Amino acid sequence: MILQQIVNGISIGAVYALIAVGYSLVYSVLNFSNFAHGDVLMLGAYIGFFSLMLLKVPFPLAIAMAMVGAGIIAMIIEKIAYRPLRLRRAPLLYFMISAMGMSIFLQNFTIVTIGPNFRTYPDIFPVKPFAVGNLSIGRLDLVILIATVIVLLLLTWLVYKTRIGIAIQAAAYNMRVASLMGINPDLIATLVFLLAGASAGIGGVLFGMKYTVYPWMGVLTIKAFVAAVVGGLGSLPGAVVGAFVLGITETFAAAYISSAFRDLFSYLLMTIIIVARPAGLMGTVAQEKA
Amino acid sequence: MSRKIVVATLLFAMLFSLSACRQQAKEETIKIGFFGALSGDQAVWGQADRDGVILTVEQINAAGGILGKKVELVVYDDKGDQLEAVNVVKRLINEDKVVAIIGCNSSGRNIAVAPVAEAGKVPVISTFATNPRVTVPEPGKLMKYTFRVCFIDSYSGYVKAKFAWDDLGARRAAVLYEISSDYSVGVRDFFKQSWAELGGELVADEAFKSGDVDFRPQLTKIKEANPDVIIMPFLYKEVALSTRQARDLGITATFLGGDGWPSSALLEMAADAVEGSYFVNHGDINAPNVQEWREQYKKRFNKDIEINSIMGHDAMIMLKAAIEKAGKAEPEAIRDALENLKGVEVFTGVINIDPATHNPVGKAASIIAIRNGQFQFYKQFEPMK
Repeated sequence: MILQQIVNGISIGAVYALIAVGYSLVYSVLNFSNFAHGDVLMLGAYIGFFSLMLLKVPFPLAIAMAMVGAGIIAMIIEKIAYRPLRLRRAPLLYFMISAMGMSIFLQNFTIVTIGPNFRTYPDIFPVKPFAVGNLSIGRLDLVILIATVIVLLLLTWLVYKTRIGIAIQAAAYNMRVASLMGINPDLIATLVFLLAGASAGIGGVLFGMKYTVYPWMGVLTIKAFVAAVVGGLGSLPGAVVGAFVLGITETFAAAYISSAFRDLFSYLLMTIIIVARPAGLMGTVAQEKA
Repeated sequence: MSRKIVVATLLFAMLFSLSACRQQAKEETIKIGFFGALSGDQAVWGQADRDGVILTVEQINAAGGILGKKVELVVYDDKGDQLEAVNVVKRLINEDKVVAIIGCNSSGRNIAVAPVAEAGKVPVISTFATNPRVTVPEPGKLMKYTFRVCFIDSYSGYVKAKFAWDDLGARRAAVLYEISSDYSVGVRDFFKQSWAELGGELVADEAFKSGDVDFRPQLTKIKEANPDVIIMPFLYKEVALSTRQARDLGITATFLGGDGWPSSALLEMAADAVEGSYFVNHGDINAPNVQEWREQYKKRFNKDIEINSIMGHDAMIMLKAAIEKAGKAEPEAIRDALENLKGVEVFTGVINIDPATHNPVGKAASIIAIRNGQFQFYKQFEPMK
């Protein structure tokens, strides 16, 4: 049973990880938490769903469309909800309020236009799980794990190995100095939101396939946000570590302490980690953000 | 000549008084409130409740109304939220000045609303709130203005235990329940009690929280305990997700659910995972006595009935009977009439209100099976002694 619970924990953690990196990426450069991230994920899930069901495109193309679509939506959100604040050097609190406003707007917009019903993705992968002895591993869970790894590797490569990535790192270190060096902060912000949005797009499709799609599914990403904070907000590897720590903690709390007290114990642990290490598990000093 | 004038005057006077009559009739309506979850994840049921009430009101009005007065319905959305429910009920009582209220489909919200009805002295009839504490918050205390048309959780917990023991031949049972829901916790408690009385073994008792989407940790524990039957008293979204995940993990036990299951959305979302499952329900939408009304409903709303449509109808019929018994459409009089209401025939049985608990006595449950991706009536259960 312990092996099965570890598998369960990893499969939950992988979903959290995919969402947590989006929070971290935005935070690393712009120093605020984009609470509309979960709703971009929700819209990505709908784009993927309707591409499959109405346009009847093949599955990989549906993922691509969800990534592009969610990326563009995230860019637009940045442009209308955050950029004007940034140009006016508004206090960080205003960004949070603006983000929450966007989040509530997107949820209600979806309820009014698409409707409050639950949508279920068709079964792309055979439902029958791999059985190894008494252990059962869902095929979709494997796909999610692989997709998470690929997205993370791609993001790491982009941020650490390319010119654009170096510009993002510079902006993360100090936006004002970076702009003096000829880096366009608006372009960086747009890029960061595009990347975060695209990761939310694929996250939404996978999340929707694993569970179901509905207008307020973005609320669940609050757990991924907690994972990002515990891992060290602003650190990509930290977000991933935090996500797996949270996924496995939740699972083990449910399995070995009490399912009724699952969240109580797992979030108590998260609080203890934060109090003991305020920068999170992997977050160290400002230089290593991004 | 003069006679003609007299006749003309009389005619004129008659016409005038007729139109005055009509005007008066327009003013003298019976105003009834409705609240329910018209949006959010319980919208399927809230809307079915509402449509059931609307159609019944239209039919009552077409047949001459109640006590010769037309019924006017005021509808509000509580979004499935307790705070919102309190707000809209306050509005119905204080601003719309309704004489009675129908709603809603959730124990949690009806528990929140009961004190408001008490303060405003307007009776509320719930369609689907099955937790005993809705009308009797603690032994010896009665919410004087709250009534219901459905059976209660102690009975549905008993039916689940008895059905699992007798019909399914189960001896080892597991429970998965939603710890943040008054309904779910209530059914689980009563099931455990009845199951212990029958001598059954409870091998797992696992909880989750509202909004959860992953149940694998709990289900893995349940699988380890190897039950014959898993009791699932919660709503269709969680049922769909948890049954799929259970089958993924290789769990083969029979699923036994409650009145949170019946929704076409369940069959769509859970597909094969719920095949062969059973649930305890308030009635059967395929029952012969409902079919004529079902056709009218389909014609009116362009969609099929849910069990909630029937409960909405039954609540409205119960209210009509109470107003007629009271002889006047005043909140206090309606409340008194509801408390001693006897022998009102509705789709799901006969309503006899117990004055001590405000629960309908002797209502029977239907067991519904899921076969070939459809809800099928399985058997009628006897009322609890």
